[in-house]
Amino acid sequence: MFPMIRAPLGASAAFALICASAAADAKPIAFANGTTIMAEYGAGTMMEGQSFYAPTYWLSTGGGYVRFDSELKGVNREIAYLRVNYLAKRWNLPSAQANVFVWGGLGSAAGNTFEGTRLARNVGAQLDYETRRVYASVKSDLWESSEFSQRVDTMQLGLAPYAHDYSTLATWFVIQARDYTGQIRHGVEWAALVRLFKGGAWIDAGVTAEGKPQVMAMFNF
Amino acid sequence: MKILKTVSAMLLIGFALAANAATIEMEVNGLVCAFCAQGIEKKLRAFPATSDVVVSLEQRLVAVSTKDGQEISDSELRRALTDAGYTVEDIRRETESIDTVRARLKEASH
Repeated sequence: MFPMIRAPLGASAAFALICASAAADAKPIAFANGTTIMAEYGAGTMMEGQSFYAPTYWLSTGGGYVRFDSELKGVNREIAYLRVNYLAKRWNLPSAQANVFVWGGLGSAAGNTFEGTRLARNVGAQLDYETRRVYASVKSDLWESSEFSQRVDTMQLGLAPYAHDYSTLATWFVIQARDYTGQIRHGVEWAALVRLFKGGAWIDAGVTAEGKPQVMAMFNF
Repeated sequence: MKILKTVSAMLLIGFALAANAATIEMEVNGLVCAFCAQGIEKKLRAFPATSDVVVSLEQRLVAVSTKDGQEISDSELRRALTDAGYTVEDIRRETESIDTVRARLKEASH
């Protein structure tokens, strides 16, 4: 299923760069019969691009590319993958919504610590809670192959200075904490982001505590 | 007899208005972001009978107008929103036009 490996990985990387960002904690399923394209540039440590199609509001499937560059040992890993996302539970409250998403996938991994490619496995989960003024999410993404095991844990807390509506621009101030395991990074990476979205377009942009850019973009249609 | 005729006329007018309700309003739970609204609008516009859709996050309201002589039943609307991932609390058929609803919502948001 993944005879593509190196060349397509490069192409995927270019795609992710062109999209210039990432939707780290956006929902993996936007709405039924909807297509989601997401891209993220994560402070030079992680770069990811994804595209999903959702036939229903509780399931989406698609693929993506993720690359990790460790500042610790010069390790890099890149994975092209196919994934299924599932909305395990949703709470629709009068003025809020909460969700539990889980996902799993398989891919092809390459890196500078081993020759060739390996089968990669991915599982993850996300819990989020959102009103029109408050957003909170925790997400964990596990990547494994015969050569490595690593996890990316991300927590976001967002506050909106005003309550947006469908036809108006939504503005959020978001604090993000992210932890990488598997020799990618030591210590929690903190970032301050400004989130803007309107209609089907969403952009997060900000900097980490070390002054590195953190950008994510998502488009739903 | 005159009173009976008046009451009958009023009832007939009332039924006629109800049968030709200009706008269907739905109170929806879980409506908190633009993507929610986008998904619901897409779902409702897929009905051949739909002529316009308005979504208000502020009022938790989804309003649909139908084309002349066409109708969407409450059960179809409820199923559409449930299939979109949301919970319908109430469905009302109003006589005001969807443009009036849109204007009212816009005024309420200011």
